[in-house]
Amino acid sequence: MKNDLLHTPDGVTDLFGEELKKRLAVQETILGVMREASYQDIKPPTFEYFDVFQKSVSATPARDLFKFFDKDGNTLVLRSDFTPQIARCVSSLFPGSVEGAVRVCYAGDVYLNASDLQGKRKQTTQTGLEFFGDASVSADAEVISLLIRTLLAAGLEELQVSIGHADFFRGICEESGLDREQEALIRTLIADRNYFAAEKQMFDLKIRDEYREMLLRISDFAGDPSQLKTAGKIAGNRKSLDAIARLSSVYEALAGSGLHRYVSFDLGMLSRYDYYTGVTFEAYTYGVGDAIAKGGRYDDLLGHFGKDAPATGFAITLDDLMTALARRGHV
Amino acid sequence: MKEYLTVALTKGRLVSDALSLLEKAGCAEKGIFDRNSRKLIFTDETHKMRFFLSKAQDVPTYVEAGAADLGVVGADTVLEEKRRVYEVLDLRFGACRMCVCGAPSAKKLLDARSIVRVATKYPAIAREYFYNERQQTVDIIKLNGSVELGPMVSLSDVIVDIVETGTTLKENGLEVLAEICPLSARLIVNQVSMQMETERIRSLIGRLKEQVEADD
Repeated sequence: MKNDLLHTPDGVTDLFGEELKKRLAVQETILGVMREASYQDIKPPTFEYFDVFQKSVSATPARDLFKFFDKDGNTLVLRSDFTPQIARCVSSLFPGSVEGAVRVCYAGDVYLNASDLQGKRKQTTQTGLEFFGDASVSADAEVISLLIRTLLAAGLEELQVSIGHADFFRGICEESGLDREQEALIRTLIADRNYFAAEKQMFDLKIRDEYREMLLRISDFAGDPSQLKTAGKIAGNRKSLDAIARLSSVYEALAGSGLHRYVSFDLGMLSRYDYYTGVTFEAYTYGVGDAIAKGGRYDDLLGHFGKDAPATGFAITLDDLMTALARRGHV
Repeated sequence: MKEYLTVALTKGRLVSDALSLLEKAGCAEKGIFDRNSRKLIFTDETHKMRFFLSKAQDVPTYVEAGAADLGVVGADTVLEEKRRVYEVLDLRFGACRMCVCGAPSAKKLLDARSIVRVATKYPAIAREYFYNERQQTVDIIKLNGSVELGPMVSLSDVIVDIVETGTTLKENGLEVLAEICPLSARLIVNQVSMQMETERIRSLIGRLKEQVEADD
């Protein structure tokens, strides 16, 4: 008998039996490490008002969001990312100022209305944490060390966490007199490592030679901490130098726990979105084509929800982590 | 560390230029590609590299997924496919232009900002150009080959296509009405490979860059 109802739509899949059991075990291990570090579970709803994921707040382009309407005609979206949601959630749970730190962790599905036929999933599971109310180096180091420790606990062996800082690039741009729009243009090109296009663009914008050279060299500063020293020598502005100093301190803090051997610096690791405000990081391993975890500091985000508090956090894409573990024969 | 770096090369006119560049830059052994062989993947043990050929549109797909660490593909494909890959080097060969072409009479239509029908193999590039650069509403018709036929049989008013020498256009009574952008072959890199194999990939990019500049 032919039955058209048996297969799932494009981009989603059924999980069952051993495969699901392993995945849930990995998820529990990760959440266990976070809970041990006094992170509290949080579970926001699956959908929100569209405005929670609007352009200035979310890293997902509006066209990639699953949208629908409630009975009053409001636009709702399935979450594409936990961070803006949790920022909203924490702003409403802790009105007034955040007294002391708030640490939350989560696991759940995110939805992306991605293109068909590109091997991309529309529903993936993410697990991660957010740390509000602490702008210090130790908060940055705590979050990065938890990322490394959760991935190691999950069974990953070959692992690299690349760390950058949004302000190194921004500082040079401001010094060179670029406005926000021009900066965004150059940032997108450098985020894609498209230096020849960036170079041409900067010629057209008539940026002074020294700044153009600096911006083009930005991703040469990748690797061990000695790269930070070299970068410090070429950058002359306060913002970029502060960024370098911050990265050095984070590295020292991580060295204290011996986790610095998983860390590499990459000042050219820019987000395409103007969303992060400080230290940013991504975790990489063999066997998957994209970063398995992304995170960073976003001190302005809570401001969108009428609250003023620094924040940092990360999200691990569990589906990619499972693929990496399976390809290494660990699961 | 991975044993081999895998490179996806675009089938067709870019292959011989790509291979000779790789050979000259000392990144691939001479004659590694045997065109008479039916093998799909060629392994270069000296340089620990693997090469395979694929259709242009598939190169960014392989590289985005990490199935290939690097790829050589035309800028037209990179622009059209919009995949998340690093576009690191302009290899300068395979130079041509993306243009709006049509019969000389179509120029008036284009400038009058009337609704124009555009036939193309590159709907994303055409849309980007007409909507965001010219701010003009157009009907885009996707074709899969011999796009020049479009205006000749009145399927469309103009076409958006690659122009190399312009001979085909001329022979069919068409001409370039507007240039969209210059094109050439690009080296693209997977994001994870760039992080996990930084040294190897950087030295490869460095050698290719030197060779490209020396050839200029």
